[in-house]
Amino acid sequence: MNEELLATYELFAAIEGGSDFWSNEILNKGAIAVRDDLISDRYSPNKNSSGKIAERLKTLSGEKVADEVLRAEGFLLTRLDGDWPTGLDDLAAPPIALIVKGHRENLAKIENSVAIVGTRNPTPYGARISGDFGAGLADRDWAVISGGAIGIDSYAHKGCLVAEGFTVAILGGGISKNYPSANQGLFEEISETGLLISEVMPQVPALPHRFLVRNRVIAALSKATIVVEAAFRSGSLRTARDAAEIFRPVMAVPGPINSPTSEGCHRLISERCAELVSSISDVMELVLPVGVK
Amino acid sequence: MGFAIAKSVSLSGLVGNLIEVEVDIAEGLPGLILLGLPDAALAESRDRVRAAIVNSGESWPNRKVTISLSPAWLPKSGSNFDLPIALALIAAQNLLPENCLEGIVCLGELSLDGQLKPIRGVLPSVLAARKNGIKQVLVPINNYVEASCITGIEVIGVDSLGSATLFFRTGEIPTINLLEATDDLAISNLDLIDVAGQVRPRRALEIAAIGGHHLLFIGPPGTGKTMLAERIPSIMPPLLNDASLEVTAIHSIAGNLKERGLLSTLPPFISPHHTTTAPAMVGGGSHFVRPGATSLAHHGVLFIDEAPECARGVLDSLRQPLESGSVTISRSSGSTTYPAKFILVLAANPCPCGRYSGRGRGCSCSQLSIRRYLQKLSGPLLDRIDIRVFVEPPSRIEMASEELGESSETVRQRVIRARQIASVRFKDFDWKLNSQIPPAQLRKRFAASRDGMQFLNGELDKERISARGFHKVLRLSWSLADSVGNTIPSKEDVVNAYEFREGTEIFN
Repeated sequence: MNEELLATYELFAAIEGGSDFWSNEILNKGAIAVRDDLISDRYSPNKNSSGKIAERLKTLSGEKVADEVLRAEGFLLTRLDGDWPTGLDDLAAPPIALIVKGHRENLAKIENSVAIVGTRNPTPYGARISGDFGAGLADRDWAVISGGAIGIDSYAHKGCLVAEGFTVAILGGGISKNYPSANQGLFEEISETGLLISEVMPQVPALPHRFLVRNRVIAALSKATIVVEAAFRSGSLRTARDAAEIFRPVMAVPGPINSPTSEGCHRLISERCAELVSSISDVMELVLPVGVK
Repeated sequence: MGFAIAKSVSLSGLVGNLIEVEVDIAEGLPGLILLGLPDAALAESRDRVRAAIVNSGESWPNRKVTISLSPAWLPKSGSNFDLPIALALIAAQNLLPENCLEGIVCLGELSLDGQLKPIRGVLPSVLAARKNGIKQVLVPINNYVEASCITGIEVIGVDSLGSATLFFRTGEIPTINLLEATDDLAISNLDLIDVAGQVRPRRALEIAAIGGHHLLFIGPPGTGKTMLAERIPSIMPPLLNDASLEVTAIHSIAGNLKERGLLSTLPPFISPHHTTTAPAMVGGGSHFVRPGATSLAHHGVLFIDEAPECARGVLDSLRQPLESGSVTISRSSGSTTYPAKFILVLAANPCPCGRYSGRGRGCSCSQLSIRRYLQKLSGPLLDRIDIRVFVEPPSRIEMASEELGESSETVRQRVIRARQIASVRFKDFDWKLNSQIPPAQLRKRFAASRDGMQFLNGELDKERISARGFHKVLRLSWSLADSVGNTIPSKEDVVNAYEFREGTEIFN
């Protein structure tokens, strides 16, 4: 196997995603050089967790990493692969690699996709809009991207699936963790017709900080992000910010002004961070090039 | 020359009166006089009876015949006196065994060839006969099954005048193949399981069935308002014996037992069209007062689709039955009372064209016409509606979902359980349902929990609800509490009830 690829796998398994420094080091010097520098302790051990990463690297081998992923019925995807979604390179800290579960040829469908994100505690209104938008995107042959959480995320996937569309779930934990377990059935369905993607090894648990890091992947993989319902402090606002930072359109669905779960959407709209959308055709207007209907 | 008496029953509303049909044959010019305030159908009886007697091979007295229906002051109507008149006429010629007509009530219309035709209102007539101590009743064979619902009285079914006379002469009860009883309609073939999504409207149905609350559905056409309403009987507790008998009696008088099984325990579902007239709604007719839709829906559901399209007078005519649980109709011939306790379900479009929902872009109505449309419902009638729900089209996910919603039977079991809780609570009182708790009792004995009352009093202070609304919300909160097994309405129950009652902002 290609030595550069194996080195990338090792670094992927050793480095927690979302670090600008390491992403850039690998981009500039190449994976082999970074790995060798780490193992021979050429980085100052107290900076950028170099010490810990070096520890982990010493126990790893690229083949073993690839094996583990294969056993979890997934495959590894890196920038070295031809089907790497180029949108990810817009990020300040692009993922070193991704683990994907599903049919590899489907990766091309991510090209035309919209992210739907929002609270885990939606009102019936939010649940409905999320599902209808998911179905509406599928009707127009656009892919849906969302997290794997209960609530808005799940409804977006379900809506897309009932319209026989293509949907992608970006998980916070490993693909073998099936977190949250309530969505296990949904994940199985998605892995058949869509894709499950994660930025960590299959057995890595879903911890809160990983969701925040994961959000940037959702933003970068999609052409635009829709926030359906979000409270004043919500992880979905982070996704919206991530999307705005890489100049992807952000949209928000308004709700009643006395509904706490619409507070975040209203904040995005009032701060001019997001476009107000009230129908799927509003969404299409913002994602399609001018003149295309 | 000859004299004979037969007995029959005349109906006024659901009340039957025992009538004696007296026939006197005297010397004089041949002719026939019918006395005792007959209506048109009854006055024509003389010609039918004459042809039937002759065609049955009996002899017609070519004398002066006087027939009197007593008590003479009571107006009588209908064709069910044909059989007793014919039998009394034959008996007056001494052609039947003596006194054979004494303890038996005869009912039936004759055709010209002597066959017996089914009549309306057999069930209440037989009930009245039993109440008056009669032991036997002779009915047309087609009414036999219906009449047999009444126990404690012997029912004899005959198919013609000939077999009736044969019975009196020989005591032979004709063995005729009985028409099979109508299919058992006790179980509705409509099931809530067919309804996709609609979580809130479903809940509203359940609460309405628990407490007997009236209901209003607003929503664009085709969202399932009718579908939902039609399924209310399937989640209501089965009718008890008395109620079932009462419902069958009313439907017997109206002559539509074919659509409804005999003694069916399924609460009736009646849905008059919005072009219906006030007499059709509450009952009417020139001589014989027929029960209207409100009485046919007794112990069941009265559903009016497109309610704002109804003529104003028709909707207003509902006020008396809603208030008193019965309808009294007065005519020159006297007044008739029919029971009319029902759950009223109104359905309305959001606007005249029906498209003023969602983004409302397809709607061509002016704001004024939308206001006017819904205002038709406002006022005293709307005040009596406890639950108002907006029915939205089911979402894509709900339409495609293979997970079925709850079945009617599951919901019905919950309704029955909740009603049991309520009946234990109300055992010392003369009402059974939460919607019937009188206001004074609501404030004292049947108040909600402390924080629930505080919430409601707050809304009252802010003048957000009227005093009547206050009471309505409380009654509704009891039904919500019963449905989840709370012994007293919690604040959550009260708030939910408030949303069901006041939640439709369309009326603000």
